[in-house]
Amino acid sequence: MADDLVGELKKLIIETLKLEEITPEDIEDDGQLFGDGLGLDSIDALELVVALEKGYGVVIPDSEVGERVFRSVITLAQFVREKSTTK
Amino acid sequence: MKYDETEIKVRFNEVDSWGIVWHGHYIAWFEVGRMALLKKFHLLPQDFTQMGYIAPVVDLKCFFKEPARMEEEILIRTSVLKPTKAALTFRFQILRKKDGKLLASGEETQVLLTLDGRMLYIIPQDLRERLQPLFNYLEEPDSAA
Repeated sequence: MADDLVGELKKLIIETLKLEEITPEDIEDDGQLFGDGLGLDSIDALELVVALEKGYGVVIPDSEVGERVFRSVITLAQFVREKSTTK
Repeated sequence: MKYDETEIKVRFNEVDSWGIVWHGHYIAWFEVGRMALLKKFHLLPQDFTQMGYIAPVVDLKCFFKEPARMEEEILIRTSVLKPTKAALTFRFQILRKKDGKLLASGEETQVLLTLDGRMLYIIPQDLRERLQPLFNYLEEPDSAA
């Protein structure tokens, strides 16, 4: 189910980046992940790319794709749904 | 993890009015170590540019433990962690040569960009192949340890 994936990805973000003070409820589905939103940076993106490839078999090759995919948890979920080889 | 070693001598222009090396110079010494290591594997900045990449620094840490003084001979030890993501993380140790005392240690991370500014999230195969001899060298037993 779509909502399950959004929740799953929020947990993956928190666990991968060790965001100890953040819960999945703190992350808005359509809120910005980088910059003003959750405040992630370029190194965080690299960590997430590795975790997403391991967990879902999706490849995000560069920032051109990344900027679209990492816009929010919703855009990330859409990308994973389209490209995942494990689900 | 093996460290590559290079030597320098503290110059007059590197010490402050307290007679000890000004903290910013340790970062320049990291750069001396990094270039000495990368030169051995033809991975200098111009080599990266020729391949179509640049590798800007995004994170830098330095821990200062003991001061270095003028004319002291310094060992700069440099290594690189095997990448788990599309970034290169260098580790540095600054030692006083005469007694091997650790004066400072640090870490620096560089990411990979194409020449038109696209950040790479995966290390491209051509660069991976160019980096492999460096990692093979760093996996050899550390004779300096």
